[in-house]
Amino acid sequence: MVDIRRISTNRWWHRKKNWGLLIFLLFLIFVRISKGSLYKDLYFLISKPFWPGQFQREVLTKSFEQESFIKLKQLEKDNKRLRELLSLQRLSDSESISATVISRKTGSWWRQIVLNKGAKDGVEVGSFVVGPGGLLGRVNNTSLYTSSVTLLTSPESKVGIWIERVQSHGLLVGLGNNMPKVIFYNKEIEIEVGDFVLSSPASTLLPPNIPIGIIQSVDAELKAQKTANLLLLAKPQAIDWVQILKVSI
Amino acid sequence: MEKYFNKHFSLISFLFIPIIYFWDPNWIEFFGVQPYWPLFWLLPWSMIYGSIDGLIVGLFLGLVLDSITPESGFTQIPGLVICGIWFGKLSFSSNKIISHFRYGFICSIASFFCGTLYFSQILIKNFSVDGIYLYFPSLSNIFSNVFVTGLFAPLFCSILLSLFRRSKGRYMIFDLKKVNI
Repeated sequence: MVDIRRISTNRWWHRKKNWGLLIFLLFLIFVRISKGSLYKDLYFLISKPFWPGQFQREVLTKSFEQESFIKLKQLEKDNKRLRELLSLQRLSDSESISATVISRKTGSWWRQIVLNKGAKDGVEVGSFVVGPGGLLGRVNNTSLYTSSVTLLTSPESKVGIWIERVQSHGLLVGLGNNMPKVIFYNKEIEIEVGDFVLSSPASTLLPPNIPIGIIQSVDAELKAQKTANLLLLAKPQAIDWVQILKVSI
Repeated sequence: MEKYFNKHFSLISFLFIPIIYFWDPNWIEFFGVQPYWPLFWLLPWSMIYGSIDGLIVGLFLGLVLDSITPESGFTQIPGLVICGIWFGKLSFSSNKIISHFRYGFICSIASFFCGTLYFSQILIKNFSVDGIYLYFPSLSNIFSNVFVTGLFAPLFCSILLSLFRRSKGRYMIFDLKKVNI
């Protein structure tokens, strides 16, 4: 009887050390199966107070902006060189004149804005005007101190446009309301609502790639042309400050 | 100064039409469309001075307004000239309330007429280029203009009429007929 009792007390599970080893082994198996996810989560919690803060984010943002600026300059340079090779229209190097809107007629048939800069300030007929959002129109005439701008919504206005997504040209026609029409002389073109409209790279009146608006709806096909309504990005009824940009001829 | 102002009010107010046209206050608008300002001036003037003066002043107004609007291909002259002639043939009403409504009604019709003439020019010019159907949505300009012009005409026309009467005869261009008020 004494011998039997001794054997039973000497079993491996009666030792605490063995249980410890078993638990450790199970833990290692869990780590192996979970591919160390427990460690990763633990590291997440421990390292959180030491993550890169606001300062580092600013440094990175600044670096990113500088990188973008350099890329943009390079692209502009390339664009200018290529446009010169193709003899296309470009912005003059003297660039823009800031002006204030002193009168606006944005309803009815007569759609124009009058700016407080005129011939005295170097504004020329044919210069184009941009505001927050994009293209507004072209300078129609100038006096000594003012210049009148025909808006894109005016029935007199017709400008060439370019849709980047489908790589296609069109004609933007002002109708005397707030929503000018884009005419495509190709029925096969696959324009969609939401397409961005830019000034045409082939235009002889405007510099290329100035944002104009977004396609709001596409009309039913008629005859040999396709038409769409355009929502202008620049709102002449609300803009007080604009930029007059010269086009070198 | 006041006497001078009253005497020359017709001329001064004529000179101010382009200024008001430029100003175009946006608190007087209906669907973004403002009244057709020249009619407010042309109606009382022509009613006092007659058809021939109305025709001439309509022509002057049209010339001034055409020169300050950028649309070089279209003109406001025919509408204003015809309205000037028509307004000159109208007689005054003895009933003040009726005459107020009458001014509104007359200006609405005149605004519709001028708007339609202008729209016709746009259609004719673009008939072969883009197709006239494109321009039909802008018909709403005419109806908005008719409404807002008719709404404010009683106010502006009656004020101007009373002021013009004080300087009546001073700026008559052709004294071909006597004006009976």
